[in-house]
Amino acid sequence: MIEFSGCPGSGMRDFRETATAAKATVDKVESRLRQWPIQMHLISPMAPYYRGADVLLTADCVAYALGGFHPDFLAGKAIGIACPKLDEGQEAYVDKIKSWLDDAEINTLTVMIMQVPCCHGLLALAQQAAQSAQRKVPIKAIVVGLQGEILSEEWV
Amino acid sequence: VTKNPAAQMKDLLDTNIKDVIQRFPGVADVLNEYRIACVSCGVGTCLFKDVVAIHDLSSDDEKALMSGIARKIFPGSEVTVPTVARKHKPAVETRYSPPMEKLVDEHRLIKRWLALIPAVCAGLDLSSHADRQLAERGIDFIRSYADRFHHAKEEAILFKYFDQNLDIIRVMYADHEKGRALVRFMLDALGAGNREALVTGLKAYRELLTEHIKKEDEALYRWMDRNLSTSEIGKLFAEFASKDAEFGEAPKSYEGFVSQVEAKYIIEEEQK
Repeated sequence: MIEFSGCPGSGMRDFRETATAAKATVDKVESRLRQWPIQMHLISPMAPYYRGADVLLTADCVAYALGGFHPDFLAGKAIGIACPKLDEGQEAYVDKIKSWLDDAEINTLTVMIMQVPCCHGLLALAQQAAQSAQRKVPIKAIVVGLQGEILSEEWV
Repeated sequence: VTKNPAAQMKDLLDTNIKDVIQRFPGVADVLNEYRIACVSCGVGTCLFKDVVAIHDLSSDDEKALMSGIARKIFPGSEVTVPTVARKHKPAVETRYSPPMEKLVDEHRLIKRWLALIPAVCAGLDLSSHADRQLAERGIDFIRSYADRFHHAKEEAILFKYFDQNLDIIRVMYADHEKGRALVRFMLDALGAGNREALVTGLKAYRELLTEHIKKEDEALYRWMDRNLSTSEIGKLFAEFASKDAEFGEAPKSYEGFVSQVEAKYIIEEEQK
């Protein structure tokens, strides 16, 4: 690991040794994606796959870090993805999340973020939306480590 | 042919915990060290292996517990202790899920009433209208808030998500039925003006619910959270909200009752 200073979200890390040491997957992993689009600026909260659904709001990088993202986390859920550090116009995200809760009447919201500090803004957006929504649902926050380990999984 | 100690330990995992404690009383001390309340449990039919899984001990604690138990059962022998097979890795202590948090909140109010019972019993005078009313309202709190509002959510909704034949679920149902029997006993005692019987009933109820709530808060709800999917948690949350809506403002009025009684006893204490 190379020492760095500055933003932890953009600091360089080199995992080649541990990544190449992992066993090769024998079976093909099927996609569990059930919708399009998925990017928060493009989705409509009233799309039928959000109605009453368990929704996964995930930071862009999570699916790359987490080897088992599709079978372990995406399976059975509707999704929206965003980058809380680099995306513009994030006020629209708050409105869409609020609409998930109040209009689409989703069952649960799971927010998945990376361990880097800049990612926590996505959870803050979700909580802001939940506070202003009329309808309450259980919200879970999952923090993913840079090498795909689950660092925490908590109801918030 | 007598099996070796390791094989005997394995067999004991499939034995009901009360029988293990009865055969080897020293096991109770080891369980108490880990705050596992099987000794005082009124039913005690959970299998030994399920006790370990339900309490979700860390791997180190499980090893230490099982080694401690093995030393009590086979003193002087080094025994290879079996690991209990579990569906889930031991979890770091986390918050309850929102529906379980709701039930834990309701427990807090029930515990506030339970804490008042000794003071209520000490000065209870059934010839006094005020005291009879206090006793009536206290029993109504137990019947309407603790039972109809709280336990009904557990029985009609939460427990249905699990196999009804699980020992831990049957233990909870049994506790609820004991509570209901005590309510009937207390109502009869109050109707007959029998102070002694009423006080006995109130104290017995306090003891029963204190242990019951401890089992649920410390073990059952956490085990349920580990065994429910995210989707099931969402459905439970919605079903609880719907059930609560049927009761309207009544739960708040029971909170008011407990606060009034607390204030009464604080004032009486200050006036002494």
